[in-house]
Amino acid sequence: MEFNLSENTTMVADTARRYLKDHYGFVTYNEQLNQTSHCDPARWGLMMELGWLGLPFPETVGGYGGELIDVAMIVRELGAALCLDPYVDLVVAPGKLLEYIGSERAIGLLQSIVENNEKVACAFYDCHAGYNVHKPTSSIREGKLSGQKSFVPDGGCASKVLVTARLGEELVLLVVPLESCEITRYRALDGSRYADLVFHDIVIEDGMILSRGAETSRVISQVVAWLQALDCARMYGAANALYLRTLEYAKTRKQFGSAIGSFQVIQHYLVDMFTDLQQLESMLFMVSVKAELGNAQERDRACSAAKAYYADKAVKIAQQAIQIHGGIGVTEELDIGHYFRLMTHCSLTHGHRDYHLDRLASLSEVNGRG
Amino acid sequence: MNLEFTQEELDFQKSIRAWMRENVPEALERVSALGNMPTKSQQQQWERCLGKQGWLALTWPEQYGGPGWTATQRYIFDIERAMAGAPPTSPFGVAMVGPVIYTFGSPEQKERWLPGITSGETLWCQGYSEPNAGSDLASLKTRAERKQDHYLVNGQKIWTTQAHWADMMFCLVRTDPEAKKQQGISFLLIDMKTPGIEIRPIYSIDGHHHLNEVYFTDVEVPLENLVGQEGMGWTIAKFLLTHERTTIAGVADSYYALARMKQAIEDVPYYTDKPSARRRMAELEVELMALEYTNFRTVAATDEGKPFGPESSGLKIKGTELQQKMSQAMVEIGGLMSLAWDSPSVVGNESFNNAPRRYNFLRACTIYGGSNEIQKNVLAKMLLGL
Repeated sequence: MEFNLSENTTMVADTARRYLKDHYGFVTYNEQLNQTSHCDPARWGLMMELGWLGLPFPETVGGYGGELIDVAMIVRELGAALCLDPYVDLVVAPGKLLEYIGSERAIGLLQSIVENNEKVACAFYDCHAGYNVHKPTSSIREGKLSGQKSFVPDGGCASKVLVTARLGEELVLLVVPLESCEITRYRALDGSRYADLVFHDIVIEDGMILSRGAETSRVISQVVAWLQALDCARMYGAANALYLRTLEYAKTRKQFGSAIGSFQVIQHYLVDMFTDLQQLESMLFMVSVKAELGNAQERDRACSAAKAYYADKAVKIAQQAIQIHGGIGVTEELDIGHYFRLMTHCSLTHGHRDYHLDRLASLSEVNGRG
Repeated sequence: MNLEFTQEELDFQKSIRAWMRENVPEALERVSALGNMPTKSQQQQWERCLGKQGWLALTWPEQYGGPGWTATQRYIFDIERAMAGAPPTSPFGVAMVGPVIYTFGSPEQKERWLPGITSGETLWCQGYSEPNAGSDLASLKTRAERKQDHYLVNGQKIWTTQAHWADMMFCLVRTDPEAKKQQGISFLLIDMKTPGIEIRPIYSIDGHHHLNEVYFTDVEVPLENLVGQEGMGWTIAKFLLTHERTTIAGVADSYYALARMKQAIEDVPYYTDKPSARRRMAELEVELMALEYTNFRTVAATDEGKPFGPESSGLKIKGTELQQKMSQAMVEIGGLMSLAWDSPSVVGNESFNNAPRRYNFLRACTIYGGSNEIQKNVLAKMLLGL
């Protein structure tokens, strides 16, 4: 067993950290927060130059054949910087989905994502189906798509959306131009741009259906596993940033004539954050390796364990950071509260804590080991 | 990043598993399965069995009788040991005084004491804690005066686990009352049969007798039983605290406890609340996984020759908190069945009947070995710079 990041992965992580330090800060974040499109063309161009658009995909589509851990190290830095660029939602999620489908049509679309010619979002969820991505309420009847999708993270700038729907008993995945949907846009808890879509009998034309049947379920599960791992990566980045800021604050902020970090209770809070963070990092390594596995049971066990743990401990770190900062921690003015919102947000995407605990229990029957 | 065991490690695991199947006595397995503590003779018989195999002093260098395993192999061994229903070995000889003797001891001391530890023949106890000292080890008062050919020891130790079983005690004593608090402390080996030693039992809230008070009245300890130099006790105590501990998190025994919990739930046919019990177990398993992978990282780091520092404090905190949580879950899932404290027959389910004893016992785990608050102070100072 070894837990060292490869030279390549370390380089990806270092580059991401440097890039964000130079091009993204709390001021940029606040500006972006108030914009309706989160795809700044200049930054998107830089991401392309850095190779991020092709990183998770095979060389045959112009990618770099990177692994999930590489992407996770980027997303960790995005989380640490509070960056709202929808890299995961508009590159990794649709891209992996299209790659796994692998048809000529799908690969063509993937290529246009890699080449920065098209922004594609994924619509897996709707209000009525909870976290179950395999039983959407939207359906295709007599060649027309009707129904709705909610919580579509499209960054306010996608032109196409990959939609799941039922066709008879089958699950299908189709690509729909956003302009043919009724769209309501809003800001999500973490500040990112979401959309609700209503499909009013959209006529299904040739080539719109990308995948159908059991295969569709399989590839969606694979992609959701990536997204669960990346939720953890984003939360880790944020939790670590919170810890570092809070430690720094405890060393400088004075009350009753001494730095609050000299008080034992504050020291113990910070140690709790530190030891939780260590375990969060272990879980991030674990899930980044296992979410890519072919063995669905092992993959889903890892993802559920990691997300349940993050929803507990990373959220606790964010709560603790506010507590130690005191009043200033709950203001819009300081980044601490924004990290807190990010953390709550990520604890609810792709399955909340109870959902994952139940899934873990059903997957394993918790039989220990050996 | 590679989270799999190598083929050699898997083969090793297989051979250990087979050996455990052959060698763990059924009676011992049953004791563990019910969450009980082995008796002295059960414990000693098992440790001798490991000793004969050369597997008792796991962490030791080969020259002193260790098996020469990597940290990963030791970890695998610990998992297989626990899952086979064998208890952890007593830490006092193998994990504590042994490494002190082979690191600081004279050639004569090594020759005299190490073989009895690796074979499981000599049982040890630890004379650190004193009344009113608690985790503040440096405030100890037990006095050792240097006479012609011996030290004259007077004072009192407390919380001495298994003093009533032990042949020998390793002991911190004050040899120089004039010196500053942490200086003037020395490390002595004391034969428990020496006249002047009196052991009084302390019954703990699990209803058992593991703990003792030990009184020393004019106890004569030969000068050759001093380890290292006079006044070096504090250095040795610190060495002991940061001595490599790849199993301090207790992951293996927690996995075993989780498996027992599952079994107990399945064994109660009329158990009505299985879904909530399962979610509770999943919750515990998640925390155990996080602990396990953190522990794996320290094991892997140890195998790469990286020093293992104050992180062990973090593993102690997390590991003991989880042990407490798990034992509490067992009691609460057991519900009414956990109320049978002293029944002549099984009430519902024996594991649940026994659950509160373990829960009671484990209240101590966040206190012993340096309370978790002390561990946090160590981390705040050494890692956080506070």
